[in-house]
Amino acid sequence: MSSLSSARLGRSIALHLFLTPLALIWLFPLWMMVVFSTMPDNGIFSPGIELLPHGNFMDNFNNLQRDTDFVGAIGISVSVAVTYTFLSVLLTSMAGWALARYRFVGKGVVVAIILGTITLPYAVVLIPQFIMVARDFKLANTWVALIVPPLFNSLGVLFMRQSFSMMPDDLFDAARVEGVKEWRIFLFVALPLARPMLAALAIILFLASWNNYLWPLLINSQPGSMTAPVALGTLIGLTKVSWGGIMAGAVMLTVPMLVVFVLLQRHFIAGIAAGAIK
Amino acid sequence: MATVTLNNVIKRFGVFEVVHGANIDVKDGEFVVFVGPSGCGKSTLLRMIAGLEDISGGEIAIGGKLVNDVEPADRGIAMVFQSYALYPHMSVEQNLSFGLRMTGNPKADTDRRVKRASEILRINELMKRRPRQLSGGQRQRVAIGRAIVREPQVFLFDEPLSNLDAELRVQMRVEISRLHKELGTTMIYVTHDQTEAMTLADRIVVMRAGHIEQIGRPLDLYDNPDNQFVAGFVGSPKMNFISGRIVGHDVHGVVVELAGQEKTRIAQPLTGAAPEAGSKVMVGVRPEHFGSAGEGDTDLVVRIDVVEHLGGTSFLYARTANGDDVVIQRDAANVPDASEITVSVRKSYLFDEKGLRLR
Amino acid sequence: MRYQNATAYRFLAPYLLIFAIFWVWPIIDSFMISFQATRTVPWRFAPTFNWGRLIGDPAFFNALKNTLLILVIQVPVMITLALVMAVLLNSPLLKARGLYRFAFFAPVVVGEVAYSAVFRLMFNLNFGIINKLLNSVGLPSVDWFSNVTPAMALIMIAVTWRWAGYNAIILLAGMQSIPEDVYEAATLDRVSKLRQFFFITLPLLKPVIVFCLVLSIIGTMQLFTEPFLITERGGPGGGTETLGLLLYRQGFRSLNFGYASAVAYTMAGLAIAITLVQLWLTREPK
Repeated sequence: MSSLSSARLGRSIALHLFLTPLALIWLFPLWMMVVFSTMPDNGIFSPGIELLPHGNFMDNFNNLQRDTDFVGAIGISVSVAVTYTFLSVLLTSMAGWALARYRFVGKGVVVAIILGTITLPYAVVLIPQFIMVARDFKLANTWVALIVPPLFNSLGVLFMRQSFSMMPDDLFDAARVEGVKEWRIFLFVALPLARPMLAALAIILFLASWNNYLWPLLINSQPGSMTAPVALGTLIGLTKVSWGGIMAGAVMLTVPMLVVFVLLQRHFIAGIAAGAIK
Repeated sequence: MATVTLNNVIKRFGVFEVVHGANIDVKDGEFVVFVGPSGCGKSTLLRMIAGLEDISGGEIAIGGKLVNDVEPADRGIAMVFQSYALYPHMSVEQNLSFGLRMTGNPKADTDRRVKRASEILRINELMKRRPRQLSGGQRQRVAIGRAIVREPQVFLFDEPLSNLDAELRVQMRVEISRLHKELGTTMIYVTHDQTEAMTLADRIVVMRAGHIEQIGRPLDLYDNPDNQFVAGFVGSPKMNFISGRIVGHDVHGVVVELAGQEKTRIAQPLTGAAPEAGSKVMVGVRPEHFGSAGEGDTDLVVRIDVVEHLGGTSFLYARTANGDDVVIQRDAANVPDASEITVSVRKSYLFDEKGLRLR
Repeated sequence: MRYQNATAYRFLAPYLLIFAIFWVWPIIDSFMISFQATRTVPWRFAPTFNWGRLIGDPAFFNALKNTLLILVIQVPVMITLALVMAVLLNSPLLKARGLYRFAFFAPVVVGEVAYSAVFRLMFNLNFGIINKLLNSVGLPSVDWFSNVTPAMALIMIAVTWRWAGYNAIILLAGMQSIPEDVYEAATLDRVSKLRQFFFITLPLLKPVIVFCLVLSIIGTMQLFTEPFLITERGGPGGGTETLGLLLYRQGFRSLNFGYASAVAYTMAGLAIAITLVQLWLTREPK
């Protein structure tokens, strides 16, 4: 018995000896992001090794705000992400509900399309989408341009379809026998029961919108209509720019999401894992 | 209250026909039980009456009105589901009132109906609780309560007791019987448990593989089954089937020789045409219809494998010389000690090779 | 269940409408644009204009080569690493599991722009912490941005850091859905942990691994932000230029939509080929 547990102890020590350095390496860029954001520019570009935070965050932030209207951009990012998340959760859960709960003509086709678009590179639709939104609809540099095109979301629909189809049939039949209309069954029975799944989906969608870069970069490139990542991205590569300020911006983009991640880790992981696990 | 009439009702899933033309007449206020093994189509039939499944052929009428194309909610029915189907995010009270609230029933009337249902089922104490805070039996009551508040013309029950443990099942069975007496409403009840069917039903519909095998009052089915399936399905322990062969006729009727026991013969009066000599038949004997040697018209030698003592009665699990298993019911005081005994057959049924009753 | 066409399509309508406008039409349009000369006004139909140019364009082949190189090296390394992370995070011997999970999963929430900026700073030639650390253990500085090989390595390191944890989450969930009693039975049969991994975990996890592979390949194939921001528009001298970057430059810098569409369809063709391989790999044995 004792040899068995000492073997386990040995394995446990080996496990931690391997995993701890790996974890530290993985945390290192995030840690350095925080460190950089608190260092003055001349400190960042100096020969010494600095691994601990300084007290310069507010100065850096002011420099950032001088280089670009980052606060305004954060405002746009938050508003867009909130609106997008609400609309997308609604649309994807409605579609997922229909696919999970009704027999209808053309269901196979709809499911095939959704599965097909998962593996289709976004690049294929990028250019015509841009031409259409910018030239034909004249919606460049508006919120609509940021919110509406990404509303088509295949993984979200599949996730909600899966969630709804795991609920017992009887629950909805019971309401049907009582004469409750389908949209009320969806609203008052299905959605409340799907709350954990909706939370997971909402977090993932919010994060996707918050971090989205390529589409906002293309469609909302005017100062005053840029999202925060785009505004920050325009500074990278400029010569006369405060890198401490860029890092302060990176921290402002990242830390709130890390907090959400820690608080809602279970939902987060459920949302990501749902893509693959049937 | 209403009648329910099924006229040649057919259900197909794609090319598979799962109900092959069902004809049933449920009278006003009657308690009818659909019973059969799983997959026999009884639940499908119930769901068609409820309107949850399309009707592929035939007609269903409730209260004399054709309902084939009527929405479930407009058929005057209420349904109790096997899984209870309580909304987990609502209190008992909200569960009971949900349907009425959603369909715009006046609030005062909704409150009255909920109150009445809770009194009938004695669940007043539970109104503020959530389903997960309830025991199995309490959930079952709430599920029934949700049907009661609809004040339906017909109650439909889909295996409502199969999630309960044995003791609770007996208790709820009595409860449902009482409810039927109290409300006097037509009830249609689906189960795979023949005991439930026997104890609850005014009439039983026995189904197998999408066919109705027999419809009748419980004791009629028991005493007078139309075929081997019904005979075997109704009654517990099951009727014994011993293979045999027709050897001729005498004054009492047709004479059957039991397989492997040339000397053991059973004579059975038949009103219909008797099959010719030599044709194979099944002899059905209920466990309680075996007597001591000499009590009946036939004596049969069996070898006892196991004896189960239940207290008042005992069951002897035995085997005939031909290898047919038989169960024999005896009073506890009358259990023999020997491993091989002779029993008599007091009453028996004959079935032809297709399983149809010979009478 | 009954057929409920009208109800079903009412629930699907908004979603399908967005799909029709912002996906179906662009997919068709993009295909048609790829056959047009788009730098003349008005655009004219010239079927071989873009595709002909593509076949002879060294910039395209450079981008294709770089993209495939990153794909072939980075994706297997990352998936292997993710598998190691998932297995170790799943170990019952692990203490303080939450901390390790946080370490590996945290990059999932970090935006491309934020982490690209950090990596640029960290890998800076003279003042970057990476070179400082290399020097402190006696190694020479690496010029990550001026030479092609280190620049490609940097891109791969950055992408791996950002996405390994993401794949580990999916793989871990897959492992946790394998019933415990399979392992208990194997342990009773004296099958070692290592063999359990190779003969139970891996085969049962195959569909999930293939799913991760395909998502990663398609993601990496469209790689844009990292070479755009970290190595400064695909530098040095196109050394880290990817198909995604080529498409961006052609489409949105040179406004050559026709040529960019042809590049996009090349990517789509690759994606379809990879999907077919996936279907073949995960097909049910007959």
